[in-house]
Amino acid sequence: MNNNIDLFGLSLPQLRAIVAEGIKGGDWCDLYFEQTVYNDLLLRDGAVASGGFHLDYGCGVRVLSGEKTGYAYSESTDFQSLIDAARAAGAIAGKSGSVKIEAAPTAPPPPYGMQLHWDDADKKQLASWLEKLEAAIRSRDSRPCKVIALLSWSVSNILMYNSLDQLTSDTRPLASVTVTAIFKQGDATEQRNVSRSFRRGREMLDDALIGTLADEAVKDLDDSFAARRPKGGQMSVVMAAGASGILLHEAMGHAFEADFNRKGQSIFCDRMGKRICKEGINIIDDGTVPFNRGALLYDDEGTPSQKTYMVRNGVLTSYLHDRISAAWYGVAPTGNGRRESFRYNPIPRMRCTYMESGADGTLQDLISEVKKGVYVDKFANGEVKIGEGDFTFYVNRGYLIENGRLTMPVKDINIIGNGPRALADIVAVAGDLKIDDGTWTCGKEQSVAVSCGIPSVLINNLTVGGE
Amino acid sequence: MITDVEKALVKECLVFAGEEGASDARITLTKSTEDQIATLDGEIDKVTRCADRTLNIALFADGRFGSFSSNKLERESLKQFIKGAVQTVKMLSPDPFRKLPERERCCASALSGKEMDIYDQAYNGIDASARRMAALEAAVSGKVLPGLPEGVRLVSEEGEYSDSEYDVYVVDSQGLECRHTETSFDYGVEVTIEDASGDKYSDFWWTSSPRLKDFDASACGLTAVRRACAQIGALPAESGKYNMVVAANVSSRLVSPLLNALNAYSLQQGNSFLVGSLGRQVFSNNMTILDEPWRKGETGSKLFDSEGVATKEGPIISGGIVMRYFVNTYMAGKTGFQPTVEEATRPRLCAYPSEELDQEGLMRLCGNGILVTDFNGGNCNPATGDFSYGISGQLFENGKLLRPVSEMLVTGNFLTLWKNLIGAGSDYRRCATKLIGSLAFKDVDFSG
Repeated sequence: MNNNIDLFGLSLPQLRAIVAEGIKGGDWCDLYFEQTVYNDLLLRDGAVASGGFHLDYGCGVRVLSGEKTGYAYSESTDFQSLIDAARAAGAIAGKSGSVKIEAAPTAPPPPYGMQLHWDDADKKQLASWLEKLEAAIRSRDSRPCKVIALLSWSVSNILMYNSLDQLTSDTRPLASVTVTAIFKQGDATEQRNVSRSFRRGREMLDDALIGTLADEAVKDLDDSFAARRPKGGQMSVVMAAGASGILLHEAMGHAFEADFNRKGQSIFCDRMGKRICKEGINIIDDGTVPFNRGALLYDDEGTPSQKTYMVRNGVLTSYLHDRISAAWYGVAPTGNGRRESFRYNPIPRMRCTYMESGADGTLQDLISEVKKGVYVDKFANGEVKIGEGDFTFYVNRGYLIENGRLTMPVKDINIIGNGPRALADIVAVAGDLKIDDGTWTCGKEQSVAVSCGIPSVLINNLTVGGE
Repeated sequence: MITDVEKALVKECLVFAGEEGASDARITLTKSTEDQIATLDGEIDKVTRCADRTLNIALFADGRFGSFSSNKLERESLKQFIKGAVQTVKMLSPDPFRKLPERERCCASALSGKEMDIYDQAYNGIDASARRMAALEAAVSGKVLPGLPEGVRLVSEEGEYSDSEYDVYVVDSQGLECRHTETSFDYGVEVTIEDASGDKYSDFWWTSSPRLKDFDASACGLTAVRRACAQIGALPAESGKYNMVVAANVSSRLVSPLLNALNAYSLQQGNSFLVGSLGRQVFSNNMTILDEPWRKGETGSKLFDSEGVATKEGPIISGGIVMRYFVNTYMAGKTGFQPTVEEATRPRLCAYPSEELDQEGLMRLCGNGILVTDFNGGNCNPATGDFSYGISGQLFENGKLLRPVSEMLVTGNFLTLWKNLIGAGSDYRRCATKLIGSLAFKDVDFSG
């Protein structure tokens, strides 16, 4: 497990010496070594004529003094450079003596791996796979005028060491396929973006994935061309299982991150242990979903990943913690200390955020309950104001619901609401949880890979923007 | 800063690439340093020291192209890196349109990197205590906050002072050699307030300058607090058509989709609502956007783009007529358009109908409407120009603020919106790279 020490050219005594230098300025010091090689191949205009690789290498040194952070990094991992970085990070403050950080328990087996390592990839074979993907899309529909397909993959070798003498190591694959297809019908243009992302090796590039992506790229395309903006207003919204989980991530998940609560900024900072939504609803942030984009063996502070119930049976039961917030609240870290790269200090971040299946029947049951509303099939993106909880989500495609039936297709609308109120206004949860494996990336200060999921849900009183 | 030894190494990498079989190459070395001092509620919370360097190489071999980067800059590492890069390029499909820009289009005047006068030697004299002082002095927690409404308290204040130095050096196998250096002094702050009923409101403000002597963060904290307080009691207004004034700090949100739609990548893919617009009047004849990249001492000024192509001053849109697409060398080959710089460098939207208009003046011009002070989510369909954005702001009547509004959406189409431009202010923020003042439009759909 400690093979990555050799990769970074240092010995354990040297790691101890660097940490000893850093901790002169605080109560805690940790080191985060990373070597990531990113690769990409791009298909455009029928040919894979662009590609490359990008090497990122270095080490971040963090010193904590109470809740205060000193951070420095070096793109060279020679001993003296890291001693200098430790001194810079250690300049944060004197020792506070207030940090009590528990040793991390042993991690379970990794929730990901590579049967076929990306390092052994034949790029011509990968290019052929992208060409098959384009052909599959064009075979399903005659209207695409452009297809752009990007295959990107990275393998990160991570080594973490801290002032508790804990040494952890991980190898994290992350591979994504994203397709942008542009369809023409007369003068009208429709753009489809579909993607899949996993922590897997090359074995993920099979015919089944081609079929999945191609099917999704052309799904209900006639309806998209026919779709219009509906008349706006306040109405009930049925959200489809899967990608609608971005609503949980943006409108609720961020407000459950412990840093926002520790600083008093979140609307949930005084709601721990209280009912915040209907009985039976469970909301989870999970780093253990196999091969999931948000899965982690350890978080970026060396804490083993876990499945964390934020809301259990409608009651707020846990925030998402890094080591700083866990120490502040006097609880164990939840494995949510994450960072974009060695250039950033870890902060509480989500992994795979989802709601468990409910007991309110099927998607059709939910739709049949709505007299007038909107069914959202696919969200594009969303944004939330943490303090107020106000959110806005863009709907790529959906349908009007009239008297319990789907009628006119709609597109290019926003749904706005307030996180806590929307959570409280969930009136039905179907039993069809689906985790969405798209290329979700969370941008709170730093970019990290996440995923989301949700069963079909019915929410009352959301504002739908329209004509 | 990039040293002569590093410049020599970059040139040596061009030789390595040629030896490995590359027909052409462009190498870009970027180095930067940044110190950040973050405060929480008026106390130092985080100190960060950043030092970055990256070598990017665009490789052309056997009619093929690839793009690569590494931050391991030791000579032997780079030799191996370039060897692997050339091998990878040779496995890709040929692409006849991939080539370096013509030499005559490239910049020949960026020799020292300091031609734009946005590198401040004062950067080198700042020490750790000065940085801490700058961060602490800008914080407002614990200080008297004039104008804070009764019963309102400051729950949280997160500020960050930073200063940075950025240096980029570009060479290619056709003899291009240019450099750009700049410094930046920045402060940003986000506050959360709580009113008497326990409702929370958050907002932010920021400032930036390439020169220390022009850097002044003293008003940021109070501005953020005032912006947060202005939202207290916000409710949606009745849905309908309103005049819309968009504040200067967020107005570029409505200009970026236009600039993206003028990019040849979007045009070539048919994914632009401005396909076929070059030379045509598609916007209000009151609308003029100029690109002004050569303004010495000003944020965003630059003499060349990432290909090394020389930037140019001139109109992007003039009197509503599209004057320029943004076409890099690759897209010029694919589309047949004349090549230009790859994107707008420092666009400025000209004031209308008078040079002196600001947000208040535009509100008076409109009489009644909604002032948008922030966008919250939303999107634009790049192919059609249809947009829908969440907004918050203020309802105004007779040019005067009436009450805050939130949880509202503004929807429309960019072609229609910009045809309905009724005024543009000259109150753009000099610290921004897009110089867009307050804007006023008529007949905009709001729903809430």
